[in-house]
Amino acid sequence: MSEATTEVAIDEKESPKKSQIERLEEEGDVAADYLEALLDITDLDGDIDIDVENGRAALSIAGGKLNHLVGSNGEVLDALQELTRLAVQTSLGERSRLMLDIDNFRSDKKEELAKLAHETADEVKSTGESIKLKPMNAFERKVIHDTIQEIGLTSESEGEEPNRCVVVLPE
Amino acid sequence: MIDEALEHLVKGIVDNPQEVVITEKTHRRGTTLEVRVHPEDIGKVIGRNGRTARALRTVVSAIAGRSVRVDLIEADEGSGSR
Repeated sequence: MSEATTEVAIDEKESPKKSQIERLEEEGDVAADYLEALLDITDLDGDIDIDVENGRAALSIAGGKLNHLVGSNGEVLDALQELTRLAVQTSLGERSRLMLDIDNFRSDKKEELAKLAHETADEVKSTGESIKLKPMNAFERKVIHDTIQEIGLTSESEGEEPNRCVVVLPE
Repeated sequence: MIDEALEHLVKGIVDNPQEVVITEKTHRRGTTLEVRVHPEDIGKVIGRNGRTARALRTVVSAIAGRSVRVDLIEADEGSGSR
């Protein structure tokens, strides 16, 4: 990563929200300590970047040899994110909604899903019929919903986990 | 190493980290890590619908590179629930 591991990028102009930003920075610091110690114990190299994005603390670990901490479908990454949120909650006493990424797994996935959302929206617009996508987890569905909303169409989720799917609706 | 990693993961999410004790047991079919926590913390390490216990097992098995059994036990009990 280009920035130093402890550097925190925030928008200084947002003074009214400063206390919230400070709280998210604190979340990021606690989370980074928890993850850094884990990397030390397990002898893994990784640079941890802390940021604040969309009202959440966002941490990303870049190491290049961390595939096993992501898992074949991101299941290990989700588990590690869950434990990190709990560690923050234990330390600061408040629930955390922090996002964890490792070797850009989520950002790559996001790009892929946004592309799928655009393709699906085009098809729905041209046929005028709704399309049901394959089952997805909460993170994946959110990316689809957000992208569909940006395009100006509507979407909804149906079914129960783990078979919950997004349906993209015509105008 | 894997017992240390698990110890760190658990200590970070409980209110009584000094009472976390990990015991590693190796047997023919693999490794079992027994985690003893303060009785007040057992709910924390199990989580709603066993979500936290599942997360701990997933991360530990990923780090170990093999399936590792993780048993969560209340410190007061002789034997524990999973």
